[in-house]
Amino acid sequence: MSLEDIIQETKTFYCLDCGKCTGLCPVSRYNPAYSPRVMLENALFGFQDDLTYNHDLFSCLTCYACSSKCPGDVDYPLFIQKARALALDAGQHGDCAHSGTVQSLARLMSNPGVSQNRLEWLSDGLRISTQSDTMFFVGCAPYFEHIFDFDSGAIDAVKASLKILNHCGIEPVVLPNERCCGHDMLWTGDVETFRRLAEHNAAIIKEAGVKKIIFSCPEGYRTFKEDYPKYVDINCELQHISEFLADRIAENGLDFSEVKRKVTYHDPCRLGRHLGIYEQPRKVIAALPGIELVEMEHNKEESLCCGTSAFVNCDSCSKQIRVDRLLEAKATGADTLITSCPKCQIHFRCAMTNKGEEKGPDVEIEVMDLVNLVANALGDGHNE
Amino acid sequence: MSDAVLVIGGGIAGIQASLDLADMGKHVYLVEKSPSIGGRMAQLDKTFPTNDCSICILAPKMADCYDHSNTTILTYSEVKEITGSAGDFTVTVLKKARYVDAKKCTGCGECTEKCPAKAPDLFNMGLGTRKAAYLYFLQAVPRVALIDREYCIRMTKGLTKDGKPRCGVCKDVCQAGAIDFDQQDEEITLNVGAIIIATGFDPYDPTSLTEYGYRRYKNVVTAMEYERLICASGPTGGHLKRLSADGRDPKTIAFIQCVGSRDLHHNKYCASVCCMHSTKEAILANEHDPEIHSYIFYIDIRASGKGFQNYVARAEKEYNVTYIRSRVAEIAQDAGENPVIWYEDTNSRQVKSMTVDLVVLATCMVPRTDAVGLAAITHTALDEYKFFQTSPLAPVDTTIPGIFACGYCQGPMDIPESVAQASAAAARAAEIVS
Repeated sequence: MSLEDIIQETKTFYCLDCGKCTGLCPVSRYNPAYSPRVMLENALFGFQDDLTYNHDLFSCLTCYACSSKCPGDVDYPLFIQKARALALDAGQHGDCAHSGTVQSLARLMSNPGVSQNRLEWLSDGLRISTQSDTMFFVGCAPYFEHIFDFDSGAIDAVKASLKILNHCGIEPVVLPNERCCGHDMLWTGDVETFRRLAEHNAAIIKEAGVKKIIFSCPEGYRTFKEDYPKYVDINCELQHISEFLADRIAENGLDFSEVKRKVTYHDPCRLGRHLGIYEQPRKVIAALPGIELVEMEHNKEESLCCGTSAFVNCDSCSKQIRVDRLLEAKATGADTLITSCPKCQIHFRCAMTNKGEEKGPDVEIEVMDLVNLVANALGDGHNE
Repeated sequence: MSDAVLVIGGGIAGIQASLDLADMGKHVYLVEKSPSIGGRMAQLDKTFPTNDCSICILAPKMADCYDHSNTTILTYSEVKEITGSAGDFTVTVLKKARYVDAKKCTGCGECTEKCPAKAPDLFNMGLGTRKAAYLYFLQAVPRVALIDREYCIRMTKGLTKDGKPRCGVCKDVCQAGAIDFDQQDEEITLNVGAIIIATGFDPYDPTSLTEYGYRRYKNVVTAMEYERLICASGPTGGHLKRLSADGRDPKTIAFIQCVGSRDLHHNKYCASVCCMHSTKEAILANEHDPEIHSYIFYIDIRASGKGFQNYVARAEKEYNVTYIRSRVAEIAQDAGENPVIWYEDTNSRQVKSMTVDLVVLATCMVPRTDAVGLAAITHTALDEYKFFQTSPLAPVDTTIPGIFACGYCQGPMDIPESVAQASAAAARAAEIVS
């Protein structure tokens, strides 16, 4: 795809050069060199090298804070996604966090010959089946469990999701040969690897014969919903677990024990601004007896990003965004910060380890995935 | 056939069209929905680029229009049905009960003084309250009080146990004996040869631009609210104050341009007058208090009228106004209820924040919500923004012969343009009824 094609597809020519994007951009507030407006200006002037050889091309969080309010409705995150593919062609790539492990794993998984020991975490009486119409997409959680030197909580969220589904009488299909959805590959410009992962997942899902897929990871959900249709045919109903839960609660209710917590909810960018799901997680929280939900200053459409996407260019700016978000959460007086994205949870927990800082501000707050909050309130009994 | 003309809407456009026709010897029925003629212009403090007092130059026209021997002014009235065609329209008008006899009322204000019931003051953009028995505003024409049936104690609370009305203070104190609780809404049928639509605009509600915090932050107001706040007949008596509990005099004011206009998510068009009215409002602030520094955040300054560019230059040079090229991204609030503005200064390419005392949102102006209903009644076409459709070489003709449109109801324009269009519409209507 040429720069001209990218400009056409993302409607960059509608740019009014007004700067609203840059004023809203969480990165631009800490990295004065980074301006989405100037990025687009360079593209419109045809200065391709200023784009592809710009290290900050990989600093964009693709959080949609800019485009959701853009008066010209320019799709800046999509512009970035496509421009990164151009950059990759020119041999440029961002700085991969965690020694590039996440990217390497995704590329490994795109090899059809690789076999994984993917279900070792399955225990504790959690039930799956090969016959169900419903599949649960696990995503990268089993890998996240071993990458970080702090408790990422990712696999606990997967277990909690299964516990919830089992409680609701669903024993979902969980595929042992599932692959990374390819989200991080697509958003760092490696379209070829993304396509291979998508084709592999589409094939095994077709073989499993399921009609519905439930996700606890909003990135996988977004990728299946918005990006897969451009490459493969999935032909299944797709649902985030917060939507599933909100529907269940509205239909016949769920029997929850009391939750004595004051919580605040962090909207993940993929679930919120990418897909417009703001109310369902809040409805689920509100259904828990005894709980109190308080909103942060930036919530719903204005929610702030957790500071990194696709594990690339995670730097001091990302850290600052995270610290600010945690301070916002603490300012509400909540004792728990709830999110519904494994990566948001990882990034907040990482920020609290205060790596690389002598003494930062006190940002300690319990961070928990929505599914863990719900699963804990369901008690131990499984409905048959 | 009829040689009378119906004018719908009693703002500056409707008033001018009525006056022109009346002066030509045609009979005019002017139907106005609110209790007084005057429209939006009556709500403005001053006009650009001359800083004339708005009501001072409007009031004589209001009075002339009302007193003219060839006009019948039907205020607090709405057009319900129109049949027929050019030269011979039959119009049904609903004239709502004021519960005050217009012939007897002297407009002395005694009923308002003693009325115990309060209601939101819509003329003042909901800033402050008025009484249930009230004059629409100080210079209302006609100067006839009315009683708001939704807030009047007598009309909302029913009778006491012993079958007596719960209130009647206004009736007791009215020396002219004008209060009439038995008054009924009435339908009036008119026969006219031509119709002029001049229904004007509503300010766009900026609540949906959640990033600007309107309604969430007290010191973020709209331009129309600001006009009332700085106006001597407004809720603060013209003392420019913040709406937070501290009520402090603002020393720094930020004007945010293009709020809900030139925006694909809201209204695509340029509202055309905001660059100038914000400049005017910033000048007025500095005239009230020379310590006030105003910042106008703009994308482009559209100062394309007579004397407009010079007005902007004077604002910068003489009235402590700074223009910053940026569409404001977000408004937050600090602990002292001061708005904090986040923006990219597109000239220096820097993201900055600025803490100010007051923010004024230059909201878009949109056709009145009832334009759709009126278009259905008149069978006239609206354009994609719900402005009455006209064409370049017939700029006041609607799509129906004999029906004309002038002023903001047919597209963004300022006061002089509305007046010029009103005269044009009057001339076109006169061709039919001559």
